[in-house]
Amino acid sequence: MGKIKEFIKSPKATVVSFALAMVLLLLSSIGGARAALTYYSDNYTSRVQMDNIGVTLVENGKDVSNRDYKSASDGTWDENTGALLAGMLAKGETVKLGKRYPEELRVKNSGTINQYVRVNVYRYWLDKDGEKQRGLSPSLIDLNFVNIGSDWLVDEESSTAERTVLYYSKLLESGKESSLFADSLAIDSMIGTKVTQTTQKEGKYTTITTTFDYDGVKFCVEARVDAVQDHNAEDAIWSAWGRRVQVKDGILSLK
Amino acid sequence: MKKKSIFVAAFAAAMVAAASVGSAWAYFTTYAEAQGGYTISLGDETRVEEEFSDWTKHIAVTSAEGSEPTYIRVKAFTGSQYQLVFSDKAGKWSPGDDGYYYYGDIVEGGQTTEPLDVKIENIPEDAGEFNVVVVHESTPVQYDEAGEPYADWSIKLDSGNMEGGAE
Repeated sequence: MGKIKEFIKSPKATVVSFALAMVLLLLSSIGGARAALTYYSDNYTSRVQMDNIGVTLVENGKDVSNRDYKSASDGTWDENTGALLAGMLAKGETVKLGKRYPEELRVKNSGTINQYVRVNVYRYWLDKDGEKQRGLSPSLIDLNFVNIGSDWLVDEESSTAERTVLYYSKLLESGKESSLFADSLAIDSMIGTKVTQTTQKEGKYTTITTTFDYDGVKFCVEARVDAVQDHNAEDAIWSAWGRRVQVKDGILSLK
Repeated sequence: MKKKSIFVAAFAAAMVAAASVGSAWAYFTTYAEAQGGYTISLGDETRVEEEFSDWTKHIAVTSAEGSEPTYIRVKAFTGSQYQLVFSDKAGKWSPGDDGYYYYGDIVEGGQTTEPLDVKIENIPEDAGEFNVVVVHESTPVQYDEAGEPYADWSIKLDSGNMEGGAE
């Protein structure tokens, strides 16, 4: 016991501890190195099915944006970002308040592995300078969500007036499309009645100026699709999205 | 020296823990995003134009350039001893039950209605000065969900607090 104490107090103990730390570090990286070697060896000996994740946002039957891991496995992504609502109006046409426009939104698994997906939908107003107008109501941008409570689950904890968070409860298999999470869009005609009036008295005259609150503002719809591997899905979702879920028999539910 | 040993051991443990962080985040994930929108144009400015000839007022309403599409209605009245007779050659105006004459077409910004003629009849020879007052109103075109236009003359402007909108 005395010798041990003496050893701990000696400079040798410091050196030995440091050497041990280095050994531990090396050992911890061996797993990755070994995995990499195995991975490349397989490539030479047989045809390998690569695990590539990819997801696509689909609007009215057309792919809008996607981000797919390339099968070449060179660490790059096939990435395209398009625009929503681009085909909503004909050239020269203006938005008709109250009219319901088709806006069918769904998700496609464009990768080679099965996945779970969620969608963050944002609705907001921008002024002429592109600044967000928080005093104007997102609910007047009426994106009609569908299949809610069955295929798509609303994460009430994370949703706000501006943001709606939807989780697809089913496993989205490679190459398959989800059911719709929205089918139409209308701008509430009520925005045409919202005004601000200022009164100015000059002599015996009173001038009332009426300004439409929503005149010149831009409504915006933004959708972000997140996808995560199906293997070890509960931990993967917790790690990637910070949300506790339960996956039982392939069906996802929110905790 | 003992403190140094503990520090080195703690450093080693931290390094090992840090080395394992990579594997904890090594899940396959990806994302795709898109956004879009349109600018809303609201408000209209309409102006009535009158020409008078042969005891007839020729009334037309012009919507200023840049105005949103509107429906137009016009009413004219004068002393009860005179009679006003309404007519229009284009057949665009139709009488309502409320005394207004309604223009059938949507008036886009920059457009002018066809004239509505108001003839003043039963004018006595000793008639002095009198007025025929013309009132015109416009209302923005409303659309149902199918995109069919209609007029809603009961719309009232809301100058209340915008916080929360119509939620």
